[in-house]
Amino acid sequence: MTEKVKVRIDGEVIAATAGQTILEVARTNNKYIPALCYMEGLSTVGACRLCMVEVSGVARLLPACTTPVQEGLAVATTSPQLESYRKMALELLFAERNHVCAVCVSSGHCELQTLAQEHGVTSVRYPYSYPRLPVDTTHPRFVLDHNRCVLCSRCVRTCAEVEGAHVWDLAGRGVGSRLVSELQRPWGEATSCTSCGKCVQACPTGAMAEKGFGVEEMTKRRAAVSRLTSMREGE
Amino acid sequence: MTTGVVTALPRVDDQDLTDRIIGDHAGRPGALLGILEKLQDANRYKYLPMETLEYVAMRTGIPQAQVYSVATFFTLFNLDPQGVHTVAICRGTACHTRGSRALLERVKLQLGVGATVDAAGKVTMTTPDRRFTIRTVACFGQCALAPVVEVDHAIRGHVKEQVLIREVETLRKGGTR
Ligand code: SF4
Ligand code: SF4
Ligand code: FES
Ligand code: FES
Repeated sequence: MTEKVKVRIDGEVIAATAGQTILEVARTNNKYIPALCYMEGLSTVGACRLCMVEVSGVARLLPACTTPVQEGLAVATTSPQLESYRKMALELLFAERNHVCAVCVSSGHCELQTLAQEHGVTSVRYPYSYPRLPVDTTHPRFVLDHNRCVLCSRCVRTCAEVEGAHVWDLAGRGVGSRLVSELQRPWGEATSCTSCGKCVQACPTGAMAEKGFGVEEMTKRRAAVSRLTSMREGE
Repeated sequence: MTTGVVTALPRVDDQDLTDRIIGDHAGRPGALLGILEKLQDANRYKYLPMETLEYVAMRTGIPQAQVYSVATFFTLFNLDPQGVHTVAICRGTACHTRGSRALLERVKLQLGVGATVDAAGKVTMTTPDRRFTIRTVACFGQCALAPVVEVDHAIRGHVKEQVLIREVETLRKGGTR
């Protein structure tokens, strides 16, 4: 799988390795594509649809995080169509849960909030669904606030792939989909949880946080989790 | 099928059967789906109790959260005990415009059940004596026959309120259709 290929990203010719995804190639070459469910070092799921790009010769938009590059592939990372699509995807994420940034531990350090600012999302055109969702405070050190979860599954994959515990998964489907620990047990009672805190660090929003932080105080160390996997690959 | 009033709920109906079902599927691709399907089928009340899910996770080594994820993703699986008779009312667009909400409300009233949301967020309605379960379906794929209702696995099209009420009443009196 070390076949070299040449691709074009926004017109610039770039050397890549076959099998790499469009997003990986773009990132290593400082080309920006927004992404939310993608996290370096984890498997990819293509869930958030924020990384959509245009590929010439393909009528529909493709997710950059799961689409592998091929010789001669030409990608556009931005266009009016992509911008409006991404804006819509972001607005739908906000409409789906109760994101009240003003009282969120992660405000100012939140990937969802940052993406919204970058894409000029200043209001949401869709009706908010205001679901009634719980906050799980049963773990001695961490909290899970379902109101701020975007179901990106980064915590699920981090726990399963990096820590090897697989405490989390997504249950249900569609609008009823929820993050669950074990068999829908309170987090504090999940016996497979090692309390390593990696899921908290991987979470892009204020949905997972350490206890004891006030509004805007919870910063995360995502890179530390990604680094763990790259160190293991080198073993 | 029994129609008497249900009392005690067995945890796993038959331990040997449970072990055999898990053993038969173990190690095969997609094993979990097959195991859950067979176990639900073997359960007297056609559902997967939490103890069963826990046991499957323990025996197969599949993480509990993953077992739960599969059991809640497919609408085929029930996490709550099901009634002896099932009335499934379509709430798809075509059936909605042809009055399926009224049908649903009418049958709920007739059987005296309110909606409960199970642990997975699925709406099911079972009478306290576990004789009837009412559920809603997103679309039966028979939209031309709207409104569509399924009574004990038999699909009915162009359902009229009075006809449905009579049919449910017959089942309630213990008769067979
Ligand atoms: S998680 Fe992010 S977007 Fe959601 S409320 Fe907190 S800061 Fe706002
Ligand atoms: S808790 Fe955080 S990391 Fe986990 S699915 Fe929700 S938003 Fe993603
Ligand atoms: S980053 Fe590609 S779909 Fe989420
Ligand atoms: S909407 Fe009822 S069968 Fe399709």
